[in-house]
Amino acid sequence: MATIIGNGLTIEGEITSDEDVEVAGTLRGKLSAEGVVTVDTGAVIEADVSASTLQVGGTVTGNVSASDRVDLLAGGRLVGDVKAARLTIADGAQFKGNVDMDV
Amino acid sequence: MARGSTAARQSPSEATDSVLGRGARVRGRVHGDGSLRVEGSIEGDVQVSGELEIDDGGSVAGDVDAGALTIGGQLTGNASARGPITIRSTARVSGDMLGAEVVLEEGAAFDGRIEAEFELPPELTGRPGSR
Repeated sequence: MATIIGNGLTIEGEITSDEDVEVAGTLRGKLSAEGVVTVDTGAVIEADVSASTLQVGGTVTGNVSASDRVDLLAGGRLVGDVKAARLTIADGAQFKGNVDMDV
Repeated sequence: MARGSTAARQSPSEATDSVLGRGARVRGRVHGDGSLRVEGSIEGDVQVSGELEIDDGGSVAGDVDAGALTIGGQLTGNASARGPITIRSTARVSGDMLGAEVVLEEGAAFDGRIEAEFELPPELTGRPGSR
C-alpha cells in the first residue's frame, strides 16, 4: 500500500519511498519518491521534493524535481524552483520560482 | 501574498489515518493526531494520539507513544500507550513497555520490561515479594 500522511500528522525528517506518497499533513525536511507525490489541499510541505509526478494542491516551499511532470493545481501554492520536462499551472494556482524544462 | 484562510479546517477529531507503505522509509520525527500504520521503516521517535500499528515487515527504531499500540514487526525503543499494547507472535521487540495493559503473544521475541497497571488475583496478593 502506498504511503499516506494524514492531515493530523507531522513528519520532521527525510522520507524516501519507491511507491506513491499522498500528503495531507505537514512535512519538513526532504521527500524522495519514485512514484506519484500528491500534495492535498491543506497540506504543508517545507522540503525539497523529488518524484516521478508531483501534484500540488496544497502549499509547497522548496525546490521540486520530477522525472515525468509537475502539476500545480488550482488553490495550490509553490515557492521554489521546478525541474521537470512538463509543467502545468492551473488558473488560481500561486507560483514563485524558476522553471527548468531541461531543453 | 497569502490572503484568506491559510489555516483551513484543522480539527484534530477529524484527523485522517496515515500509512507508511512497505517501500517507504522515514528518518526523523513523526508526531500528530490520528492513527498510523507502519509497513515500512521509521528511524526516529513516533508520537500519535490514535492507534500505532507496526505491521509484520515494518520496523521502528525509536521511542513510541500512542493511544494504543500493536506490534507485529520490529520495535527497537521504549513504548508507552494510554491504552493497550499488543505484541503479536511475529514481533521482535527490544525496549520497555508501559501501557494500560500489555498483551504478549506466544512466539514473540521480547527483550525489555513490561509495566502495566493491573490487579493481582487474590491468591497472589498475600505472597511477600509479589507486587
